[in-house]
Amino acid sequence: MSIQKSWSELLTMARACRIVVETLDLLEAAAQPGVTTKELDRVAREAIEKAGARPAFLGYRDYPATLCISVNEEIVHGIPGPKRLKDGDIVGLDLGCIVEGFYGDAARTVAVGSIAPEAERLMKVTREALFAGIDMCRPGKRVGDIGHAVQTHAESFGYSVVKDFVGHGIGTSLHEEPQVPNYGPAGRRERLVPGMCLAIEPMVNVGRPEVEVLADGWTAVTRDGSLSAHFELSVAVTEFGPWILSDPYPYERAEAANA
Amino acid sequence: MPEAAGREVLEVEATVREALPNALFRVELASGSKGSVVAHVAGESSLLRLRPGEQVVVELAAYDAGRGRIVRRR
Repeated sequence: MSIQKSWSELLTMARACRIVVETLDLLEAAAQPGVTTKELDRVAREAIEKAGARPAFLGYRDYPATLCISVNEEIVHGIPGPKRLKDGDIVGLDLGCIVEGFYGDAARTVAVGSIAPEAERLMKVTREALFAGIDMCRPGKRVGDIGHAVQTHAESFGYSVVKDFVGHGIGTSLHEEPQVPNYGPAGRRERLVPGMCLAIEPMVNVGRPEVEVLADGWTAVTRDGSLSAHFELSVAVTEFGPWILSDPYPYERAEAANA
Repeated sequence: MPEAAGREVLEVEATVREALPNALFRVELASGSKGSVVAHVAGESSLLRLRPGEQVVVELAAYDAGRGRIVRRR
């Protein structure tokens, strides 16, 4: 059972999440053809430090960078390096920071230049799947309801969800209990209670769900080489419904569906 | 940043062979070669009244293939 956070703790987490999302906005604008992934990592680190926060991933289990950048068939955990982005790439940007001991974590997949319609559709469906999961973050629901909603949405478009990596509780560490899989039956796993914070993060593949981790020990790619997208937000369960912590207020469903 | 998924348990189909003391059962796995395991019952008390020959679903932990957990009838 994840630790329930007080409102003041949630507000601190919201500050961390806000910094992450604003930095992702910067990175999304900077992800242009020709830029190296290392350069984006530098932008991320500077933005986070300027905002008075600390990178959450740098040094986490010896991860060597601030940002995870996963291009095309890379699913997650891509390490920034000399690789240059090119027109038509889709690029997963995953970022976390720490404010006063509390973690914020978010990710999105962005387009470099103009991308194929198939890639566009994958990104849209993955993002919708994330919001389908977020909509389950209500007291009385269970962790399994989140995964079920995500999986049902993604698979209804013929895509597959990655099972080897999962979302997670978040708070005073990056990964807390419970694990939040993007699959599985509804009505199972931990019961959601107000004050729980979960990082929900569907990873959706065009092809098969199998994952391979490259020799660097981090970069996870689709085994069949198909495109993969990843969206993540940190969400608190509240009496008023799901609260995406990077947003100013808890929201109701209608807004999320059209976001 | 996603976390590596925890070790998942393996669900297999099995047939009850023998009721043992302490709500344990010896079950034979349907998936051939692994043979039989000793399994305890999980959850429902109606599972305590299993009889030899009944078809059940057993969870096996990856770290101990000789023990299982009967989760439901099938």
